[in-house]
Order: sequence, then structure tokens, then C-alpha cells
Amino acid sequence: MSKDMKFLVVDDYSTMRRIIKNLLHDLGYANVTEADDGKTALPLLKNGSFDFLITDWNMPGMPGLDLLKAVRSDEKLKKLPVLMLTAEAKREQIVEAAQAGVSGYVIKPFTAVTLKEKIDKILGAQAA
Amino acid sequence: MPESALRALPEPRSPDPRTVADPNAPHLLAQLQDLTLNLRNALDRFRLDSRLTRLAEKDVPDARERLNHVLKLTDQAAHRTLDLVEKSCPPADRIAREAAALNEPWSRFRAGTISVSDYCDLVSRMDKFFVSARSDAEGVRANLNEVLLAQDFQDLTGQIIRGVVTLVSEVEVVLVDLARLAGAEGGSTAPTPEELARGTGPSVPGVDQGTAVVAGQADIDDLLSDLGI
Repeated sequence: MSKDMKFLVVDDYSTMRRIIKNLLHDLGYANVTEADDGKTALPLLKNGSFDFLITDWNMPGMPGLDLLKAVRSDEKLKKLPVLMLTAEAKREQIVEAAQAGVSGYVIKPFTAVTLKEKIDKILGAQAA
Repeated sequence: MPESALRALPEPRSPDPRTVADPNAPHLLAQLQDLTLNLRNALDRFRLDSRLTRLAEKDVPDARERLNHVLKLTDQAAHRTLDLVEKSCPPADRIAREAAALNEPWSRFRAGTISVSDYCDLVSRMDKFFVSARSDAEGVRANLNEVLLAQDFQDLTGQIIRGVVTLVSEVEVVLVDLARLAGAEGGSTAPTPEELARGTGPSVPGVDQGTAVVAGQADIDDLLSDLGI
């Protein structure tokens, strides 16, 4: 998969966005855009040509689960890989995210290795 | 009425048939018993009211400001640390890149197969590398010291959070008293589906546990694998 891929990182904490952006840079993905919740992310997704979405769950405005559902119900975006990167750890929530069509789920706190593994797995499945 | 006066009130007792001649006496005593009980409840409520007023007007708004300050301090410290890490990456990369680039001609020098012009070039690059590596390493070291100092927020925020934890304990006592006076019964503490959909925040050891919460990434991977993801 090309390292020119466009990533959108959605998290209400700017420090977490910076951490993810730095880790993506280390993995060779330099094209990273940020948004602070689902409400600001959705227009960016609709107007841009993003290849990968990484989103938090618990955010003011529009939570990550609603963003995921909006992405999956949009004709243009429905196949976009969505990695949920969140502290939400209840089984019920993970099942709900899976039913809503999440591509991967990483629990915070996380490691650079886990992030890489999940991105690779999603991209691998997409390419297959 | 001060609390000491209330304590001084005798406990209501059943009338002694040998000393009570008035047939209305049992009725009067029952009324007095009710009155005492009501007075006690009223005083309890009054005491609770004044604690509640202090909590609502001063302590809770104070705590909110203190927690906002904690948010600000942790945010500043995290950004300061990230700035320093981002500032340290280019010099660290430069050292690694130049050391790797010097490795090949250095191996040829050690094997005695290097040409004179390459040897001169190697010496010149080594001279520059010693100067730049030292300067870059000193820069990284200085940044690491700054990262160390950026962690001083923990002492300040720890003290503030401990104070707020004490306040929360006090609020808990008042709320329990209030619930007791109101005769309220405990309801379900499980989050509603709406709360779950919005997100309930990180799980906390000792608070969120049991089978409802995943144990870690491996647990999530198993769960998703069962769901075909």
C-alpha cells in the first residue's frame, strides 16, 4: 500500500492527535490531516479523498460511533477503512462498533507496534 | 435549637400505668414522640442544608476551577514534551544517518582497500561528523533535561486532585444523607445504551471490572475475531 495515503485523525485531544501523527510519520505516512470531532471530520471526509480514518470514540459534538455510522451510510465513503482508537473498553461497545462496520479497534493506552499491526492488517485485508 | 439541646431531650418512652392516671396521657406522649422525631429530622435537614449550601456555593465551583487548572497544566506539559521530542528527532536522525553513511568507507579503510582520495574524503567527513554529532547529541541531551522538567506538573496536579478527591468523599456523605432523608432507594448504576453510544471514558481498575470490560488489546482482538473482523 502506498505511503502517500491520506490519513484523517479525529480526536478531541490535540496531544493525542500529535502522538498519532508522529507515529504515522514514523511508519512513513506523512500525509495526515487532523479533526477534533465527528462534526468537523465528516465534511473533510466528504470533500477530501482520504484513504484511512483513525477516530476516537468519546468526543464532544459528534462521537466516533456516530461518525463511523455516517461514513458507512455514505455512498462515497462506505468502504473507507476506519480504525477506532479509543479508551472505551466495554464489550457491548466493541460489539456495537463491529456491527456498525469498524475495520479495527485499538484500546488506549496503546503502543506504536499495535497501531502498526492494526493498520497493516486493515490494509492487507483491503488489498486481498 | 442547638444540637446539644436536642440531645438533652429525653427519649420518648411508653407511659408507666402505675404513675399515669390521666387517660389522655398515652395519646399526649405519642404526640410528643412524633414532635421529637420531626424536630430531629428538621435539624438533620437544616444541618444537611448548610453543608449542601457550602458545597454548592463554594467548594464545588472551587473544585471545578481547580480541575480546569489541572487540565491546563497537563495539556501544557504534554505539548511541551511533544515539542521537545519533535525537536530531538532531526538531530538524532542526522547522527544515525551520517554514522551509517560513514560505515562503508570506514570498513574499506579497516580492510586496507580504500583509495587515497576516498581516504582523504573519509577523514574530512569524520572531522565534520565529530563536530556535528557532538553538537547534535548535546542538543538532544538538553531537550531530554527539559522533558524531565516538564514532568513537574505531576506534583502540582497530584496535590490538586487529592484535594478534589477529599471533596468528592464529602459530597458523597452529604448525598447519602440526603438520599436517606428522602427515603430514596438505590437504582441501577449500569450505563444506559445512550451513554454507551456517546462513550463513557477510560475504564478504571477497581471501578470498571468484570466480564463487561475487556482486559486489554488481546481480549479485543479475540472478540473482533469471533465477530469476523
